[in-house]
Amino acid sequence: MLMAIMTLTVFLSALHGYRSSLEEVQQLFDSELVDKARLLAIAGNGGSVRGEVVSTSDQYAFQVWQGGDILLRSDNTPLTAISSLKEGYQDTNFNRYRWRTFTWFDPARDRRAVAAERIDIRNTLADGIIMKSVLPVMATLPVAGLLIWLIVGYGLSPLRNLSEHLRSRRAEDLRPIPETLQPLELKPVITSTNDLFGRLEASFSRERQFASDAAHELRTPISALKVHLHNISKGLPAGDHDLAQLEAAADRMGSLVDQILALYRTAPDQYMAQFGDLDLYQLVQKVIISIYAQFEQRNIQLELTGKHTILYGDQFTLETLVKNLLDNACKYTPAGGHVRVSIAADNAGTRLQVEDSGPGVSEDQYQRMFDRFYRVGGDQHYSGVIGCGLGLAIVKHIADLYGASIDLQKSSFESGLAVSVLFPQQTRFGPAVNNNKGR
Amino acid sequence: MQILLVEDDVLLADGLRTALRREGFSVNHVATGRAALSAFSAEKPEIVILDLGLPDMDGLEVLAQLRTGEQGPQVLILTARDRIEDKVSGLDLGADDYLVKPFEMPELLARLRALERRTNTAQTSTISIGQVVLDTLTHKVSVDGAELDLPRREYMLLKALMENPGRILSRESLEEKLYGWGEELASNSIEVHIHHLRKKIQTEFIKTVRGVGYTVSKP
Repeated sequence: MLMAIMTLTVFLSALHGYRSSLEEVQQLFDSELVDKARLLAIAGNGGSVRGEVVSTSDQYAFQVWQGGDILLRSDNTPLTAISSLKEGYQDTNFNRYRWRTFTWFDPARDRRAVAAERIDIRNTLADGIIMKSVLPVMATLPVAGLLIWLIVGYGLSPLRNLSEHLRSRRAEDLRPIPETLQPLELKPVITSTNDLFGRLEASFSRERQFASDAAHELRTPISALKVHLHNISKGLPAGDHDLAQLEAAADRMGSLVDQILALYRTAPDQYMAQFGDLDLYQLVQKVIISIYAQFEQRNIQLELTGKHTILYGDQFTLETLVKNLLDNACKYTPAGGHVRVSIAADNAGTRLQVEDSGPGVSEDQYQRMFDRFYRVGGDQHYSGVIGCGLGLAIVKHIADLYGASIDLQKSSFESGLAVSVLFPQQTRFGPAVNNNKGR
Repeated sequence: MQILLVEDDVLLADGLRTALRREGFSVNHVATGRAALSAFSAEKPEIVILDLGLPDMDGLEVLAQLRTGEQGPQVLILTARDRIEDKVSGLDLGADDYLVKPFEMPELLARLRALERRTNTAQTSTISIGQVVLDTLTHKVSVDGAELDLPRREYMLLKALMENPGRILSRESLEEKLYGWGEELASNSIEVHIHHLRKKIQTEFIKTVRGVGYTVSKP
């Protein structure tokens, strides 16, 4: 852009310069012509010889007239007058060329001197003179342009680096921009940007902290609610409808609180990744053991297949992921159904799959299932299952931390959903949040 | 069985007191750490249910002081703190069990029963699930009233499973319970014991959760 403007400006000024120089050179030539004519009129012979012919170079011609007779002429002029012989400038044609003439009239001696110059030669000369002055300017233009480009580029490089740095950041990365190695001019920009980052970060973490504290504080009252419900149940016949509804509501509150806490703890600034080599198989075993009660209650056959597989990861996040997948599978599988967890490792990475024999999910629902608070079929879900719709959103959130992909398909049972999480072939650098790219 | 309930939330404490008394426990409730320590030295309860978030001092500190005596009580931590680190530090300080709020009342009762059996003054030393009755004092097992003669390891295996009804015990954790440190054992020894037990009791009494472990269903 800058280059284009530069070039255009230089070009226009060169054009303008060319035109005005041309005019000046023409004026110069003209005044020379006047001098020549005067000189001829004065210095021409006394009038003794008539019709004398003088040879000149091709570009000049002249005639000196005394009254109606020609006193003196150059050999390239005809015998007739080469101009109208009126005093002043005139452009005429003779001898196959176009000429610029000037006629000087000396009334005292009744003499007219006509000096002529070939216009084409005058133009060539003028062009030559002007080009000599314009050409160097034109010639230096690319050099100047290149220099400007380099210098401006160098001058803007910190700004470019900064924008590159900002672009390569993840949306939730609110760490300050390092102030080192930045030129002095950018310091105020960086300082105020960092200031903004700081305030944003603080308000985000306040918000998250609030959610976490609130969820945490809710645990005790929910416990109290459940204990009192238990006490009430002792005085009521088994299977009382209202009581069952109340208990379901309390359970739902409890799981919502758990989910909110899980979401909060897997936020990048919270989850102080304690990464290490974990045996995914053992971890799944542990999770199954911890939540087996709900499977047993509904007489669901649960099995784990695969073998010990080492995964580089963080225990809490992986446990939360597995737990949510299992919770979902259990919820949506009818009593007496099957749930199978399988672990497999190949070149692509480690695959964890949870299959159920529930009713399954139609493919057009797959994408929405990861939205927070979305529940297939809304709250009117056939199963009357307690849920808050956070489970898969959390699974997705954690999978993202690991750069893992989630795939939904039909399970290998007669009906049902299979959710598989593929942890890519592991790098040793931990999850994407710890990635220092762009720093 | 004397239980000291240390819980600062009055609403929860009130419900728990009712529920526990119904189950035959005698419950004393205090709301602060200091009150807990003085009540403990006065009454010497067998079981302490301890909340960690107390208004005057941290529950873990209370736990540390309870544990200084030679014959300490059984301590069950009942807390909203569910981080793995919290749990580990609680168990490291000598808590016998750890339950996170919100909890299921039957779960709490089952755990209290398990703690109760560990104390010498236990009134009930028997666990009965279905037709199977196991006496933790006399080490006798009977099915449908008919007494079984079980080898030590099969008895311990059955006891471990029956003490945790509804929970899966992995092969590894069963091995730890049955065998001493460094003891040579065949890789399928647990399977063999289970196989023998199933022949002596009803086959479906012990369930296999493929890939995970074994479990005995809740009564």
